[in-house]
Amino acid sequence: MKTNGESQFDVIVVGGGATGAGTARDCAMRGLKVLLVERHDFASGATGRNHGLLHSGARYAVTDRESAEECIKENMILRRIAAHCVEENDGLFITLPEDDLAYQAKFVEACNAAGIRAEIIDPALARRMEPSVNPELIGAVRVPDGSVDPFRLATANVIDAKLHGAEVLTMHELTGFVIENGRMKGVKLLDHRSKLTKTIYSKLVVNAAGIWGHNIAKMAGVSVNMFPAKGALLVFGHRVNNMVINRCRKPANADILVPGDLICVIGTTSSRIPFEECDNMLVTREEVDLLLAEGEKLAPSLRNTRILRAYAGVRPLVASDSDPTGRSISRGIVLLDHETRDGLAGFITITGGKLMTYRLMAEWCTDLVCRKLNIDRKCSTADIPLPGSRKEEAPAKKYYDIHAAAAPADKKSYTTAAKQQELAEKSAEWRHGSMSAAIATDDDASRALVCECEEVTVAEVEYAIRDLHIDNLVNLRRRTRVGMGTCQGELCACRAAGQLAKAGRCARDAQDNLTHFLQERWKGMYPVTWGDALSEIQFTSWIYEGVYGLPVADNK
Amino acid sequence: MNFDVVIIGGGLSGMACGIALAERGKRCAIISTGQSALHFCSGSFDFLGYVNGFDVETPATTLAKVIPPTHPYARIGADRAIAIAREVPAFFERMGVKVNGSIDRNHYRITPLGIMKPTWLSLADFDAIPEKARLPWSKVSIQNIAGFLDFHTAFVADNLERIGTECSVSAINMPEFDHLRTSPTEMRSANIAKVFEGNDDAVRHFAAIVERNAADAHAVMLPAVFGLADSHAVEVLKQAVKLPICFIPVLPPSVPGIRTQITMRRRFEALGGTYFLGDTVTSARMENGKVAAISTRNLADDELRASHFVLATGSFFGHGLEARPDKVVETLFDADVVADGDRDRWYNHEIFAEQPYMSFGVATDATFHPTKGGKAISNLYAAGSVLSNHNPIKEASGAGVALISALHVADLITPQQQAK
Amino acid sequence: MNISENNFEQCLKCTVCTVYCPVAAVKPEYPGPKQAGPDGERLRLKKPGFFDESLKYCLNCKRCEVACPHDVRIGDIIQAARIKYSKKKPGLRDMMLANTDFMGTVATTMAPVVNASLGLKPVKAILDGVMKIDAHRTFPKYASQKFETWFKRHAQAQQARYAKQVSFFHGCYINYNYPQLGKDFVRVMNALGYGVQLLDREKCCGVALISNGLIDQAKRQAEVNIASVRRSVQEGRPVIGASSTCVFTMRDEYPHLLGVDNADVRDSINLATRFVQMLLDSGKAKLNFRSDYKLRVAYHTACHMEKMGWAAYSIELLRHIPGVEVVVLPSQCCGIAGTYGFKKENYPTSQAIGSSLFKKIEELKPDFVVTDCETCKWQIEMSTSVPVQHPISILAAALK
Repeated sequence: MKTNGESQFDVIVVGGGATGAGTARDCAMRGLKVLLVERHDFASGATGRNHGLLHSGARYAVTDRESAEECIKENMILRRIAAHCVEENDGLFITLPEDDLAYQAKFVEACNAAGIRAEIIDPALARRMEPSVNPELIGAVRVPDGSVDPFRLATANVIDAKLHGAEVLTMHELTGFVIENGRMKGVKLLDHRSKLTKTIYSKLVVNAAGIWGHNIAKMAGVSVNMFPAKGALLVFGHRVNNMVINRCRKPANADILVPGDLICVIGTTSSRIPFEECDNMLVTREEVDLLLAEGEKLAPSLRNTRILRAYAGVRPLVASDSDPTGRSISRGIVLLDHETRDGLAGFITITGGKLMTYRLMAEWCTDLVCRKLNIDRKCSTADIPLPGSRKEEAPAKKYYDIHAAAAPADKKSYTTAAKQQELAEKSAEWRHGSMSAAIATDDDASRALVCECEEVTVAEVEYAIRDLHIDNLVNLRRRTRVGMGTCQGELCACRAAGQLAKAGRCARDAQDNLTHFLQERWKGMYPVTWGDALSEIQFTSWIYEGVYGLPVADNK
Repeated sequence: MNFDVVIIGGGLSGMACGIALAERGKRCAIISTGQSALHFCSGSFDFLGYVNGFDVETPATTLAKVIPPTHPYARIGADRAIAIAREVPAFFERMGVKVNGSIDRNHYRITPLGIMKPTWLSLADFDAIPEKARLPWSKVSIQNIAGFLDFHTAFVADNLERIGTECSVSAINMPEFDHLRTSPTEMRSANIAKVFEGNDDAVRHFAAIVERNAADAHAVMLPAVFGLADSHAVEVLKQAVKLPICFIPVLPPSVPGIRTQITMRRRFEALGGTYFLGDTVTSARMENGKVAAISTRNLADDELRASHFVLATGSFFGHGLEARPDKVVETLFDADVVADGDRDRWYNHEIFAEQPYMSFGVATDATFHPTKGGKAISNLYAAGSVLSNHNPIKEASGAGVALISALHVADLITPQQQAK
Repeated sequence: MNISENNFEQCLKCTVCTVYCPVAAVKPEYPGPKQAGPDGERLRLKKPGFFDESLKYCLNCKRCEVACPHDVRIGDIIQAARIKYSKKKPGLRDMMLANTDFMGTVATTMAPVVNASLGLKPVKAILDGVMKIDAHRTFPKYASQKFETWFKRHAQAQQARYAKQVSFFHGCYINYNYPQLGKDFVRVMNALGYGVQLLDREKCCGVALISNGLIDQAKRQAEVNIASVRRSVQEGRPVIGASSTCVFTMRDEYPHLLGVDNADVRDSINLATRFVQMLLDSGKAKLNFRSDYKLRVAYHTACHMEKMGWAAYSIELLRHIPGVEVVVLPSQCCGIAGTYGFKKENYPTSQAIGSSLFKKIEELKPDFVVTDCETCKWQIEMSTSVPVQHPISILAAALK
């Protein structure tokens, strides 16, 4: 990249969460020259640390009509443009004996007013539809909730941005701005890999860094007063439920259980934390106990289900009053034009909102960007599916046809190989949708499983390393679910590290990565480690520290 | 059913105890919930590898000075522990398991990452590397089986190069593996070993490729995937390859570990022992503070009665201990445990730091009787990783504590008798 | 179905089960117990579409369960998945193999014809080509008189004279193919001072129905059997079977796979060798043995015997017999797994699984291989030169 002070880009988007990735995509699709900058990895902040709930908006219907309406609109759009990231599971809002059944009527009315299809169903029917639900429920409402995988969603936006010419830098942290005469001219970045700093110039800079946008704005000399509200969640070892289960009452702690891929998630808590904690959030024992106690009320079988992890995200809420819980605040979208607001031209902050409305946030932000650049292009992100959800690219079951035609005599071996390939493709297709066509599973070695819990093949890992911005095993996990299953890396971590080395990455880095990856897994495990989970981690330690000899120090 | 001694737990500790007692003419039964942690063994047995993060070179002379008084070795008595350790190679030899190494001086084993770890005894397949700072060979050839994901030549090479070893890496393919590779998951160490089991031609064919790949290297490093039911395949391979072969352990399952398990069980049964695999002790019947009998899931109404019982149920992995959200318990007798009552203090937030839970275990009196409510259960003995106050990983002492405590308990049960 | 909730989550991914699966090593099309069981279960809970029909290659030998250090009911998880998700309907061949008692009733009445024709080359060719029953297989011969018929005519009347009574679950094999074992059982029990009765109604235990996917029928038969067992137990007669597989199926597969509750009578369903050995061990009964009996036998632990954990009883019982030298073969699957090995598509797998066992038997050359399972008997007799006997028959022959 040139560093001669010329604007190399129309816009630099800071933050690789869903909003930043969505904004980069929208800008690129409208023909702008875009750079997306992320200090760690895509979806490594709040985007990847929530329920993964495809909100119908019902949760907000009673308290926040505007959010509810935005949600249901975006919900329908995401089903269309991000089909491979979405599971159309539907949701239940259940009333338990301890809840006020009168709330149900108010709730349904509010949903209908917001355009959310909410249908009161018989509790007996609810029990049949979702056998894990608390059988003592006295009321149930069915709503179009679903699940969305935020990692895939953010990544698909990045991929599409790149397909439209955007450039992407991960592991690049913003360290400062170039501001000349009240105008934003560019950003200073620290490359975490090379430890070098660089300056990159652009016409506009968009601050889409979520809660971290607070300090980024401060760096630019403007003030965006956000406050971090921590929400803790627990991941269970398998899918207990297939429909989202919510409590039909005013939003409170731990009242949503969301199935997603092979697991389910209960959350959240809500507590205000200092900014210093945003980068290292610990889930406390009290939070764990609360989540378990409340979660069991939604689905009693959670009591006997292995807990894989505890994690927490930070809601980037723009402070408007002093409510410490942050719950009465609208999660409305906040778009700040710092030129008009603060007299700093060329700087825009997009914040507030929520995962569900990332696309709308990106649209508003890009509309503003285009106005600033005098470009008259309409937003098309609601109409054009994301990579992975494009039917025309759907992986043809080519293998069958090729082999059936080419080697009819060898039908038997073809059948076995084709069957194995079909199995290998199933999970990959679930994760990457139509992009999985790029995953070459046509020989035995490529179909070998690196991660057995989540069925991640050698081919999928190779594809991710090649095409999906992988620097380390944690990135690989976000793209493929390696190490997200029951064993939390016990078998797959070393195999995956081996694949990194095999792909030409430095063997020493791959080993350091392995240590870091296991540490990262452990961080989410220890707050919930008892029972089988403790047996598992003792086994993992036995293997990696005892037999393998991690962490690697120099052999001297 | 009546026995002299019933041993609960069929891992290294339970089996060593059973064999030692059976050698002294005791009628023993072992109950094992499933296969044991020997299935994940490195192929080496550690006695004491580290103290405070530093390598222990001479365990025999160091032990008494460094071991804290609550440690199982200290409770056995450092001298006694060393004396028992000296008996172990012969004990293995009687089973037909050949080992290298001595309690006087630790040697080094090469880990799957090519790191050198101090250890006490290694199965004869594995070379006892005398020094940490260099290999006996300046140039080695590291070879894997193509498509085998559980062995990583790049890591081995990386760490061996750091100690001045010139490494070359190659992958071996043979038609025999094609079939196995068809399965996305089952190209595992034990299944590879099965390819060579009773198929000397395949081993020799493999050996020929190994030699060709090795070129001018001084030694060959291979994944430890040979010799499942016995060490025949290892011997054929070592005979067929002119260069020294250094086996390196892989991800579970451990082929040499399984072989050791099979060999030990065979020895135990040959001595008249009864091994109940896949069964679980469900309850114990107590009489006058002693264990009168135990019941198992499979044997149901047919109690196992004995004069002595050995608790060799392992730690959390073995389910000898169970962590509940609010406490740690010994699962069978609800014996007293040495464990922190506060869950927040079970763990260090750094995974590779010393983890307090690793040292949790059953509380015993001076003669290894577990206590319950502070009172010793006088015909019950604890051995192996169910014991408290040792950290098998940080100390590299797991196998040592298992073996030494098991043999010590066998001595306590038969004070007058020597092994035949 | 009835898999205790989330038992699959006890899996620590330690891979031990994969070592002991007899199928995975020889049949890569089979995903192996870890993948087919606990790992696959998670996937199937996500979408039933992740069910893989190759789970049919599971022998249901339960050796994975025996090996599992964490008590995961891997075999049950796999079988339950087949029951729940498989779309394959059993064909004529599977129906025929599965319906052992229907086939038996037809065959015994025409035993000479059936035996002769099942042995004929053209018939075997048809079985092989049309029915996909492997031509290498020798069908167990059908007896000309069913055990039940013999019992009612020649033994029943004398049973009342014994103070203590048991009910005998003879199973299909004794009834149709090998009544001699049933006669031996009656002789041994009488010698111990026990009278033998039949159950009011006995149906095939259903093991072959389960493995061939005929679950509804298996469940109906299980209900009949458990009702009969219950009556017998209420009348003070425990139920004894000679076949390890029948006994295992009634004790464990009924509740685990078929959802038939047997909790009240499960402990009263016992295996012949265990019952006899426990009796002898307790000193409550004695047997008089011949002094001239000399025999060298090799005991083979059938898979379901291994799963029940009762091999020690049979081995002890054999050792109890003066003049009998017992060698215990390493416990491994012989490959037949009931009707599994009869199917043409499974034949090579079946033989590959058993090959090392057959080799050991040929090396040992005992007078008999002894096992508690009838299908192991067929497999070992077909694959080695050594005849196979049930421990009860050895015991009966040694009696004075």
